[in-house]
Amino acid sequence: MHMRNFFLTAGAAAALLGAAACNNDSLTSLNNNPNAPVAVPPPTLFTTAARLSAQRWIGNGYDLRGTEWVAQHLAEVQYPDEDDYKRLQASSTTGWFDAPYYQELEDLNKVIGFAQVAKDPGSYAPALVLRTWDYDFLTDTFGDVPYSDAQKGDSSDAALAPKYDAQKDIYADFFKTLTDASTALTSASNSLHAADPIYGGSTAKWQKFANSLHARLAMRVVNVDPAQADAELRAAFTAPGGVFTSNADNATLPWPGDGVYNNPWSGNFQGRDDHRMSQTLMNIMLASSDPRVPIYAQPTVADSTGKTYAGMPNGLTQATASVYFNTASRPGNIFYPGKTAYGTFSSAGLAQPSYFLTYAEVAFIQAEAAERGLGGLTPAQAPGFYNAAITASLNQWGVTSATTIADFLAQPDIAYKGGTPGLIQIATQKWIALYSDGGQAWAEWRRTCQPATLIPGPDAIINTVPRRFEYSNTEYSVNEANVKAAVQAMGGADVFTTRMWWDTNPTAAPTYPGPSCGTRP
Amino acid sequence: MRPTHPQRLLGVAGVLLAVAPAIVLAQQPTTIAGRVTTEAGTPIQGASVSIAAIGAGTYSQADGRYSFVVPATRSNGQQATVAARRIGFQPRAVTITLSGGTITQDFSLTAAPTQLNEVVVTALGQSRQKSQVGTAVQQINADELTNTKGQSVVQQLEGKVSGVQITASGTPGGSNMITIRGSNSISGDNTPLYVVDGIPILKANESAAGKGASSNGGFDFGSAINDLNPDDIETLTVLKGPNAAALYGSRAANGAILITTKRGRNSGGRVRTELNTFYTFANPAILPTYQNQYGQGAGGQFAYVNGAGDGVNDGADQSWGPKLDGRTTGCVFIPKTTTYDTSKPCTQFTAITGGPWVAHPNNVADFFQTGHTASATLAVSGGTDKANARLSVGSDNSSSFIPGTYLTKSNASLAGDLQVNDRMSATATVNYIRNAGRNRPGQGYSNSILESFVWFGRQVDMSALKDGWQKSATSNNGPDGREFNWNYNFHNNPFFLMYGNPENDTRDRLIGTVASTYKITDWLNLTGRVGSDLYRYGITQDFSSADITGSGANQNYAGAFGLVNDYNNETNSEALLTANKQVSRFMLNGTFGGNIRQQHRDIATVSTNAILAPGIYNVANSAIAPSNFQQTYRQQVNSVYGSASYTFDGWWTVEGTARNDWSSTLPKGQNSYFYPSVNTSVVLTDAVPALRNRVLSYLKLRASVARVGNDASPYQLITTYEGNSNKFKGQPQYTLGDVLANADLKPEITQSGEFGAEMSFFNGRANVDASYYDKATRNQIFNVTVSPASGFRQKSINSGEITNKGFEALLSVIPVQLSNGLQWTSTFNYSRNQSMVAKLAPGVQTIVLGGVWYVNLEARQGYPYGVLYGNAYARDKATGLIYTDGGLTVAGSRKVLGNIQPRWLGGWSNQVQYKNFTVNALLDMHVGGSLWSVTNWFGDYAGVLKSSLQGRQEEWNKPGVVINGIDINTCPSYDDAIASGACPGGQKNTTNITAEEYYQNIFPVNEGYIYNDTYVKLRELRIGYDLPQRWAERAHASALNIAITGRNLHTWTNVPNVDPEIAYSTDNGTQGQEYGSIPNARTWGISVRVTP
Repeated sequence: MHMRNFFLTAGAAAALLGAAACNNDSLTSLNNNPNAPVAVPPPTLFTTAARLSAQRWIGNGYDLRGTEWVAQHLAEVQYPDEDDYKRLQASSTTGWFDAPYYQELEDLNKVIGFAQVAKDPGSYAPALVLRTWDYDFLTDTFGDVPYSDAQKGDSSDAALAPKYDAQKDIYADFFKTLTDASTALTSASNSLHAADPIYGGSTAKWQKFANSLHARLAMRVVNVDPAQADAELRAAFTAPGGVFTSNADNATLPWPGDGVYNNPWSGNFQGRDDHRMSQTLMNIMLASSDPRVPIYAQPTVADSTGKTYAGMPNGLTQATASVYFNTASRPGNIFYPGKTAYGTFSSAGLAQPSYFLTYAEVAFIQAEAAERGLGGLTPAQAPGFYNAAITASLNQWGVTSATTIADFLAQPDIAYKGGTPGLIQIATQKWIALYSDGGQAWAEWRRTCQPATLIPGPDAIINTVPRRFEYSNTEYSVNEANVKAAVQAMGGADVFTTRMWWDTNPTAAPTYPGPSCGTRP
Repeated sequence: MRPTHPQRLLGVAGVLLAVAPAIVLAQQPTTIAGRVTTEAGTPIQGASVSIAAIGAGTYSQADGRYSFVVPATRSNGQQATVAARRIGFQPRAVTITLSGGTITQDFSLTAAPTQLNEVVVTALGQSRQKSQVGTAVQQINADELTNTKGQSVVQQLEGKVSGVQITASGTPGGSNMITIRGSNSISGDNTPLYVVDGIPILKANESAAGKGASSNGGFDFGSAINDLNPDDIETLTVLKGPNAAALYGSRAANGAILITTKRGRNSGGRVRTELNTFYTFANPAILPTYQNQYGQGAGGQFAYVNGAGDGVNDGADQSWGPKLDGRTTGCVFIPKTTTYDTSKPCTQFTAITGGPWVAHPNNVADFFQTGHTASATLAVSGGTDKANARLSVGSDNSSSFIPGTYLTKSNASLAGDLQVNDRMSATATVNYIRNAGRNRPGQGYSNSILESFVWFGRQVDMSALKDGWQKSATSNNGPDGREFNWNYNFHNNPFFLMYGNPENDTRDRLIGTVASTYKITDWLNLTGRVGSDLYRYGITQDFSSADITGSGANQNYAGAFGLVNDYNNETNSEALLTANKQVSRFMLNGTFGGNIRQQHRDIATVSTNAILAPGIYNVANSAIAPSNFQQTYRQQVNSVYGSASYTFDGWWTVEGTARNDWSSTLPKGQNSYFYPSVNTSVVLTDAVPALRNRVLSYLKLRASVARVGNDASPYQLITTYEGNSNKFKGQPQYTLGDVLANADLKPEITQSGEFGAEMSFFNGRANVDASYYDKATRNQIFNVTVSPASGFRQKSINSGEITNKGFEALLSVIPVQLSNGLQWTSTFNYSRNQSMVAKLAPGVQTIVLGGVWYVNLEARQGYPYGVLYGNAYARDKATGLIYTDGGLTVAGSRKVLGNIQPRWLGGWSNQVQYKNFTVNALLDMHVGGSLWSVTNWFGDYAGVLKSSLQGRQEEWNKPGVVINGIDINTCPSYDDAIASGACPGGQKNTTNITAEEYYQNIFPVNEGYIYNDTYVKLRELRIGYDLPQRWAERAHASALNIAITGRNLHTWTNVPNVDPEIAYSTDNGTQGQEYGSIPNARTWGISVRVTP
């Protein structure tokens, strides 16, 4: 063996190894992810997005640990930092801004994209409606938010720091989107089926949801642009398919209650005992012997007869709040999961549905539109819609006895008064009917300032009820120029007191009680 | 009896090698015998005397005598080189003629504490003269490694290698983090490659954080490297960084640890026995110092009703209650006063109607027990010049100092070598390991033993908890269905924690290698080698529904469980040509080879928080749909590599290496990377012999530059949709991943230069091996946060740069060497690494690596890697004093509070030998760096630590605390004071507050609990005695030794209450953070060692 043999052997080995090494195709295909696909049937994304939407805005943190205190349906009896608005500052609320964008909104965006290419309005129109429902919570919570430029991180423009859109423009696009979706649904066929946990893919129901959501958003802008409100209400009421006409039309997420996917309130109450009824809500309901009281609330633990229902003040200190531990009512048994760390309750709660939008709310919108002569309705129609709304709410929460309902409607405080007193009744009853939807209850309160008894608690860190939450900390670190431009556009400071675009003319509301609105004396 | 042993052994070897070797016994052998002594004439025991060329040899005995036989077939009059080697001495070789009969050959060895001329193992398992190596390597031999009994091979390296930093999780059987010359990668792997007998093995770190636990802690299942039995290791060589490891290419950035296992030798057909046994006792090395003056409660009051809030502060898990003075009444105040109401009895969980209110000073210490470990490795080996084998069986059984925790490890290893003919040889090794754990203790914040003593009532009687953990809570008015405890709001009874939520895990592992070498010519060999490492790891964790913290278990059902099934495999197949040829005055070495590395991992988990029938932790017993998780990872790297070196006249060596890797994890067309290196070494004292004098006897300089990589992990190139095993009403659910993948991913690239010198003085009485290095890692792979409105949370990028510069030195001296045999050998190693995050990405100032309780561990641009970033006190700029508000401290802004990089690390090892006695002692030093201690922070907050007595020396509210600070309310502007520290005319604080108010208000500020993490540990102590030689002979061995050993016997540190060495987990993001961490074990034991 000589040097030549060495080179021959080396050369042969090199050729062999080189052949293996440079076989790029098989090497590269080894990196095809066997765990997760690069394409999936769009309806599977819709299912995730619908569930996440409900968990995000009408159940978990944003609702149960945020807006329920602000809207004062509930009050916090232990560690009342949220109820004092301390833990509603940016460090705590950042996730409410961030997560929707890269979770359900991103998934809905994919559904819309795929279904539009496939010319399948049965999928893209429901996704557009649900996306609008989600974005409404986002913009009504923060103000101007990324919208037209959002969800484009993986598109060709790779927008990793999207600009913010003015709320006014976002609302304009909401109306257009809902009109388009409603129109598209007229000739759509069901393509979501069981992947749609809200309506099972029924295009007729989605069309009603589109039009009803259109009405909700139209009424929201009434203080700043009554003409737009009028036109959009009219568009909603007269659109093909119409709006909700009964509780059977309600957009709900019926939770399976299977131990994995439970009603978010009952899931939370399994381990935590922080929540009591707010006296702001309970005082109003108790004054009118509202038959929903034993459903919304439980009797206090302190009263062994089981007949006492009571609320507690919002915004206390740990020491002053803990006094109410046994003397204020817990939320109703229907939201409790059976056995908890601190006691055993009725076990229906795990499957209690969450409500995206109800017929009761639609009827309240119609009552208000009628009273104000908007959307083609007349004041004479107001009492009918008002009674229908309350009846629908009572039915929705399980009060079905005709006598009970009639008795309640006949009460002096409840019987419809018409005029501005009527509008106050509509606003108050709508706020009560929105129980368990803190975000919408808060938005409606900001628009109407009813009930006027809603003011910050004694230990809240500011003297007025927040008109918005602060922008995400993440945005300040990675999208600074755009978030700062949005803050400037909204008035210069990223604070609780900045008003929504639709909230900038509060005195236009007939129900406006004066500058004391939402202010602690 | 005697002749059958080698036959059996060789039979085993034959099966192993699938070749039955012909055993040819000598008829006219040559016997070589003599004595090995020091220059002073003292006998040297354990020196190896051998003829390497024919694989014959033995070891010297206590009197220095040795004798071995060369078979007649080999004794045909040829010349042979006999070499004598002993650790601590320069080897010596003589040439003799093998012609039958008896040859007497004595050796007199010169002391040399480090083997500057020894043979070391370098990359690809090549043996090289250390004098010809141009990079930094340090070799540790078996004796050094196994002086004492640590939990693992990595722990047994602690303090012994310069440039190496080891962070241990204190958990019995827990993981280790080992870094060489600092961390190179922001979010990737920073631990070295492990290579056993030339084949890389798996190194998964099953740390608490790595096993899916959050920063709230979890269970630590140890590191895969710890499966190796230290007693099977012959040498362990540390390739310190990229330069020495360059031939490993895309795995070389963090250096490599090469392990050579023990093999059989030519024993002339005789069986050799080897035994290493330990029996050790373990106790926690450091426990917090608790106060024993105040019991559970708040505001000086406590009365137990149901332990859940119905009594006075009986839900509290803190010790701000009444003084523990033995009172039986008066533990609560008369309403609206602070006078104790002596008409009311003092009630507590063991005395719900009243009883004495007394301290149990040792309640925490009483929880722990003395741990026991019995370990033994028994090996038999032997061979002829044609074949040899070694069979080893090891077992390691521990019951921890934490009650309920048991660990067992069993090893069986068989290694054989066969000289098939003159040209062909074959070798095979197979190693089976079974590593099992039961009830591993939790660390961190949830369900953690040490954390549960931070939130504690100091009056709690531990024996009541021990006796009663299986009782129902109703026996002291607690909630139905719960375990018996002192508190029903927050924590579990620690005994319930260990026994009531059973955990079991097993790792079955097989590491095997087969190789064959064909001698093409005298100077050219071709070696083919295949090695595979595979294990299956199974973990089951059950939770009782009686668990108070509710961790996992749904209250409506009978318990919860989770199981993990994890299969891991790495297979390497390689071919290597090696050439060694002397051409006039040049020695040429060349290697050329290729490797195919295939990695495969399958992990599946099943968990549910609700089971139906109690006690049946099986998926079929789930009360609700269980959650499932399954992932498969496959990865392949193809490589070709080679090296060429020449050595001129034995003193000047130049070597170049090159490797090209093709990786499956990188994008097509961009998956080929080239990693070159070049190094040179010059033995100046050989080149210029005039340099040698009475002082300087050896001087070698070396220098090297290298460029290596750090691979990407699989499936990072395309964003995928993630499924959810839990169907929503029967409907499948997918969601788009939140991280925007990077289709252009590149490997991380490290460029490194090093320079070193090796010197020997006074004929080897003192040696220095020192290195300076400078390296930079670019193209860091990490995820950068993007605006969530983009639809993604993060984007994977290649960016940034980390630099590490440092100096390391190994100094070894023999201060005392007397003719009466007394010898003291002392080795000091020193390392100093300066790390810097030079660049991140445009607009990115920091990457958060991890963090607990408001303190982040970050890679922050312009700072060393790993700063602790947290809440500081608000301070007055002019005076530096902190602000107070109403007498309480005030939180200021967040800032860098420290960094985890030590200023230097050191290890000082000493060995004193006299006659049959040998004493070894090792001090391990860690100087500088910062430690964030949550135990101290919460321990003061909760009033359990002795330090929280300040301000309540007289009574719960007396004398109180007056903070030396400035009352912020006397500043002209509160906001200015906070924002800029401006407080002209501010007045000193005079408000007296209670200790409870003081300590409970420090909560928002972390600054006071970041400590200078300097410590010195008496890491190892061994006092050994060599038994008479004739006993050894009877045991087929060369030596018998008994010893008393100890580890972690003492710690000198200023860090209070906790083991300063311990992090709560051992991942990049958990360093420098102590958090309910379990302290190291202090162990004492005895050892019996039989040397073959």
